[in-house]
Amino acid sequence: MHKSLHPLVWWIWSGSLATAVAMTSSIPLALGVVGASGFVVKVKAENTPWSKSFAWSLKVGLWVVGIRIMTGVLIGVPIPGRTLFSLPIIPLPDWMAGIRIGGPVTIERLSSTAHDGIMIAAIIALLGAAASLSSPHRLLRSMPVMVYEFGVTIVIATSILPQFVASIGRIKTAQRLRGHESKGLLSWRRIALPLFEESLSRSLDLAAAMDSRGYGYTRKRSRYRKDRWTSRDYILCAIAIASFIRPELLILIVALSPLLVAP
Amino acid sequence: MIKFTNVSLIYPNSQQTVIEDLTFTVAEGELVLVMGATGIGKSSLLRLINGLVPHHTGGILAGDISVNGISTQSVKPGGLAHLIGIVGQNPINGFVTDTVEEELAFGMETLNLAPDVMRKRVEEVLDLLSLAPLRNRSIATLSGGEQQRVAIGSALVMHPKVLVLDEPTSALDPIAAEEVLSILHRLVHDLGLTVIVSEHKLERVIQFADRVIHIQGDGQTNIGTPETIFASSELAPPIIHLARAMHVEEVPLSVRQMRRLTEPLRKHLGEFPSIIEQSLEKSHVVVKLEHASIAYGEKQAIRDISLSICAGEIVAVMGRNGAGKSSLLRSIVGATEPTSGVATILGRNPFSLRGRERTAIAGFIPQEPGDLLYGQSVGEECSQADKDNDVKDGETFALLQSLVPGISVVTHPRDLSEGQRLSLALSVVLSAQPQVLVLDEPTRGLDYAAKTALIRILKELALEQNKVVIIATHDVELVAELASRVVFIAEGEIVADGSTTDVLLSSPAFAPQVAKVMSPSPWLTVSDVVLAMRNSS
Repeated sequence: MHKSLHPLVWWIWSGSLATAVAMTSSIPLALGVVGASGFVVKVKAENTPWSKSFAWSLKVGLWVVGIRIMTGVLIGVPIPGRTLFSLPIIPLPDWMAGIRIGGPVTIERLSSTAHDGIMIAAIIALLGAAASLSSPHRLLRSMPVMVYEFGVTIVIATSILPQFVASIGRIKTAQRLRGHESKGLLSWRRIALPLFEESLSRSLDLAAAMDSRGYGYTRKRSRYRKDRWTSRDYILCAIAIASFIRPELLILIVALSPLLVAP
Repeated sequence: MIKFTNVSLIYPNSQQTVIEDLTFTVAEGELVLVMGATGIGKSSLLRLINGLVPHHTGGILAGDISVNGISTQSVKPGGLAHLIGIVGQNPINGFVTDTVEEELAFGMETLNLAPDVMRKRVEEVLDLLSLAPLRNRSIATLSGGEQQRVAIGSALVMHPKVLVLDEPTSALDPIAAEEVLSILHRLVHDLGLTVIVSEHKLERVIQFADRVIHIQGDGQTNIGTPETIFASSELAPPIIHLARAMHVEEVPLSVRQMRRLTEPLRKHLGEFPSIIEQSLEKSHVVVKLEHASIAYGEKQAIRDISLSICAGEIVAVMGRNGAGKSSLLRSIVGATEPTSGVATILGRNPFSLRGRERTAIAGFIPQEPGDLLYGQSVGEECSQADKDNDVKDGETFALLQSLVPGISVVTHPRDLSEGQRLSLALSVVLSAQPQVLVLDEPTRGLDYAAKTALIRILKELALEQNKVVIIATHDVELVAELASRVVFIAEGEIVADGSTTDVLLSSPAFAPQVAKVMSPSPWLTVSDVVLAMRNSS
């Protein structure tokens, strides 16, 4: 069995991809990079509770695009151009001068908000890819003890989120069998409450377990068969950071580089 | 080793003391069992030992607790990590890393042990608990028993003097439970470890215990040898009740002891032909599976199962952890559509049922009954169920009152005990009067009293209202009391299907205590034996 890549490397990889995407600000490139990282997730992700994070980050991304377009169309500075359709302008009090709700919607305005939305969604998806690919627990283990308090927050946050995803499915099924169809806002309340309760008790358990095993009691901490940085890890980081030089040319290669470096 | 001096504990915002003026000492190498009803403070007592209570939970502690001479008041739980290993109720929630080997090493890393020491201890523990084949496995893929062993292992690598376990076998099948308990037994006897363990399924542990702490509520506690505690305690496993019914003078703790004590009486009873229960007349078929299979990706959860269940039957689905019990139930209630084959319920496809129509046909209690509940109070939950199921206002709450009296309408479902929460979920589901009720391992955290209540409700449903009850469980004693039929599955296939007596008696691991004692006579419960005794005299 190949030793998998260092967990931090995945975050560096996705972080630099996200930065590069933001730098180029090009929609086709952003979509291509998300597609390529999705392919990497498909090939490399192991069957762990958090491996579904990527799919979820895509869904969140779609919501972001939707909301961004909605608000962009309704509120905002008019951008001159060809008018598609006009919304009635809602009168606002004087002290809100400069803000307009409604008014003519131009192609330019629509496309610029859609562009923003897609860029944000792409960045979320890339971070989701890293979450799918690296174990949050291993990530915590590689943190220096100095950032202990921070590390606990990270491990709890990152281990709750993927377990959230698994729990949602379970609770949804249970609710459906109680005769409640999961549609609409009300059903979210039905799922959210048991979910938060469970996550809370789960993280309290984890915190108690870590506490009673002496975590953070001393500042010094040794490492058992430490996750060593191998040459592959360094190469991948170097490639990832190199993408800043000419993002528009290199970004797709960088996105696929984990497959080349650690097949 | 452990010394409690006048310990009292009260949680903030609570009127009741959990523990009042408790004084006891545990010597090195003792195995102490903590027992009591659910929610009475067993976990609190265990967590007091390493200071998780009150350092982690809050609460006011009076008196002094010292372990190996160190007072827990002055030291935080982390400072006792080398001395006390603690295994929580759901070990999976306490795992920090994702592979077995890393998990074992985690605690030693925090204690800053040298890498070569860690490596050596990990190897030792892998051998001691037969975990070596699992060392590289991802913890999420382990079975319940394996996870429990990993949790014990990760406590043992620290070379603690005290090991504390909170209900270590409640989620395990009888075989896995026996494995875990025999490990504990060995640790106490070979390594001189002091073990404190809490458990509801007393029949599994009393024979290993040196002493018992019985928390009775209202701050009362009883401490003594198992013989003295079980001489009078109402809370007792079937074997004790059997001994009382058979007027045995001594207090037997194991099947072997009980068999020796009752030899003449058993012989006498065995001469009378046992009354074999008349099997119920088969009425109409309600649930039918034909060649049903479910696969999750590569993995076959159940394969080619054909099964029909008639009205009025109580069917127990048994098998090891991961044998496919849940998948079988899911295909019956229509949570998962079979990948091949057909499942029908009253002639309908359960997967297509919706809303009110669904609740009138099939009711489902999941492993976590809390999944069904989302109300802010018991009252809100009940009136929502009234509305959903078109029944009179207050009907659901009245049902709940008949199951467990004394729950207040304003209580938040989260503050209920396990048994109460299960009852609330049951009343919500039953208010729709489903023809089929399916329960997935409902007895995980239930004490004997709650189990008896559950048995009464389910029997009434099946025998008086002619409904179908299907229950997946590891609890053989529950099955013996409750079920009319047992379906035993392994690797997703049915390996035995027959009357409870036939199936339970034919498997040594799954036989209830009474059956083991009375073998070869085919009696499963204390009341069976009482009936036989009455007939013989």
